[in-house]
Amino acid sequence: MALASATCALLGTSLAPPADAQEDPNWDFNTSLLYYGEDQDRVQDLSFKSLTTRRFTDDRFLTFGLTVDTLTGASPNGTIRQDVPQTYTRPSGNGQYTVPAGELPLDDTFKDTRVAISANWQQPLGEKGLANIGFSASKEYDYLHTGINARYAHDFNQRNTTVSAGFAYSTDSIEPVGGAPIPFTPMLETGNTSNRLGDQDKDILDFVLGVSQVVNPNLVLQVNYSYSNSDGYLNNPYKLLSLVDPITGDTLERPPVAGGPSHEYRFEGRPDQRTQHGIFTQAKLNLGGKVLDASYRYMTDDWEIDSHTLDVRYRWPIGERGYLEPHVRYYTQTEAEFYRLSLDSSEALPAFASSDYRLGNFDAVTAGLKYGWKTRNDNDMSIRVEWYTQSGEVPADQLIGNQASRDNYPDLNAIIVQFSYRFSR
Amino acid sequence: MASPCEVLLEDVTRATATEVTDAVAREAWRIEDAFSRYRSGNIVDRINRADGRAVAVDDETARLLDFANTLHELSDGKFDITSGVLRQVWVFDGSDRVPEAAAVASVLKRVGWHMASWKAPRLTLRPGMEIDLGGIGKEYAVDRCIATLTAMTDAPGLVNFGGDLAVSAPPTRRNAWKVAVEGPQAGAPERVLDLRRGGIATSGDAQRFLLRDGVRYSHILDPRTGWPVEGAATSITVAADTCTQAGMLSTLAMLEGKGAEAFLERQGVRFWCRR
Repeated sequence: MALASATCALLGTSLAPPADAQEDPNWDFNTSLLYYGEDQDRVQDLSFKSLTTRRFTDDRFLTFGLTVDTLTGASPNGTIRQDVPQTYTRPSGNGQYTVPAGELPLDDTFKDTRVAISANWQQPLGEKGLANIGFSASKEYDYLHTGINARYAHDFNQRNTTVSAGFAYSTDSIEPVGGAPIPFTPMLETGNTSNRLGDQDKDILDFVLGVSQVVNPNLVLQVNYSYSNSDGYLNNPYKLLSLVDPITGDTLERPPVAGGPSHEYRFEGRPDQRTQHGIFTQAKLNLGGKVLDASYRYMTDDWEIDSHTLDVRYRWPIGERGYLEPHVRYYTQTEAEFYRLSLDSSEALPAFASSDYRLGNFDAVTAGLKYGWKTRNDNDMSIRVEWYTQSGEVPADQLIGNQASRDNYPDLNAIIVQFSYRFSR
Repeated sequence: MASPCEVLLEDVTRATATEVTDAVAREAWRIEDAFSRYRSGNIVDRINRADGRAVAVDDETARLLDFANTLHELSDGKFDITSGVLRQVWVFDGSDRVPEAAAVASVLKRVGWHMASWKAPRLTLRPGMEIDLGGIGKEYAVDRCIATLTAMTDAPGLVNFGGDLAVSAPPTRRNAWKVAVEGPQAGAPERVLDLRRGGIATSGDAQRFLLRDGVRYSHILDPRTGWPVEGAATSITVAADTCTQAGMLSTLAMLEGKGAEAFLERQGVRFWCRR
């Protein structure tokens, strides 16, 4: 204190505000635990995620990611409800499961553990450039992903404008439980794998071009264009369609075979190519410490799925160290060109067909709240709770006979709870 | 300032940048000319050549002498602007030429602020005594230049004179000013500090020492004994409200030898000590 006042006297100034200096941490750990649970005992996911960043001098960073997911629960198998019980062969070909009359057919064998790792190196290139290269891999019981990615961003206009370009390439191999079914072949009795093929693969190539612009100190705008091309096995090997009577719309019964399914079910088939284009726009607005983050995304692809996503977050400081962030997201998409509820047995088989509800026409709303705060050691903690609801509709011209009086689209409600903790060393 | 000097300004036009850096450079040169002991004819030179006569000083010099006086008291005599003459016997060139005890004792007779008579505006030194404001001057210049900068623009700025630096305000484009502190190898930053307010100064110089019979003599001299402080850190970086405070605390901590960390803990400042 004596030194502080002596310094004031020397400099002829009033007492300087307290210094604010700290060592830039070398290690940053970002961890989170997320629970995702769908109602009616459908998919439950417990996910642990960590990102560890080592900071080097000259703004160079090495980041390692680790994600472990454990998935359990039941998932719609793609066939329609019936007024009688339905019996199915499990994907493995070992054993059967039966769905009671009137209920949505769910395959309850859904159980998986997924481990994903990633590594990313970031460094400035010259005065105004920033480069990233990365590698990723993940393994599930029936799936192996490996990918590489790179991105370059360049600042212009006194760092008010940033133009970036990136690409990602991944090659995935799929080893479906029980083998990959040949599209449109029937679900067979237990132990019969005559319509199964071996391992499959697909390659995905992504490009993204972006511009972000600082309009003024309180407003940042961003626009991205993205292109994605998938090539290879794009089917879901566990999804089926019901083969139905052209008049009643009921699923045809299958001649009884020991260990066979009760009705006629056909494995789905999708094109082996998919090209998507997307436009993403985002505005971040600082309103005197409160931050509004609004974004809109439009996606279109050659499967004829067009989607719109509107996402709004509002970050509201609470006291010195906390904030509250409400979040609302609205999503809507049209169905894929080959989406259909069932296969009409009187018609020739189409080239492609899938009843996967994710390829259908649906709307989804996510609404939630996040509370975050800084701990005494300047670590960040947050807890987020969100509700997700998805409801869709099968186009009326696809409904045959009795189907019109049934609930065909499997609506979905889920809850998401996430706890995050970030600390530095 | 005998070191690279820089001014960083955020979000200003070229014209403002030129105007501010020119003014900062003028202020830095003014302080160097006025208080460097290497300039002849300035106030320090006149004091050092007064040969026992009283010298009347201007207001700014008086403030610097008052400050030196306060530091002398606060440090129990360890900080002493009259200790510079010890350099006549101590040359820290990495060699083993440790001076004779008798030679040190002889020079030490001319060291000691308590032997000076200071009553503003008059300073009287005994014949043969000298003052050196170099231990205060650079940090003082940084803070003065920050004042110059602040008077001219609201834009956040940083003034760095050879690693002793201060900022006028936190930057707006990023969270903090990034300050790299050099490690044992020149040009290789040992750590990066985030500075939003205040100043940073570093004392110590790994290249300046003497080595004889396995004993390392640091260039930090205790003006009370005339001999190097034992157990001095290799370098000490301190962040404080002003660059001057940071500089004085790092210097005083150096003089504490092994007790540097404990001393700085008591001051309640952030510091980084390398041994």
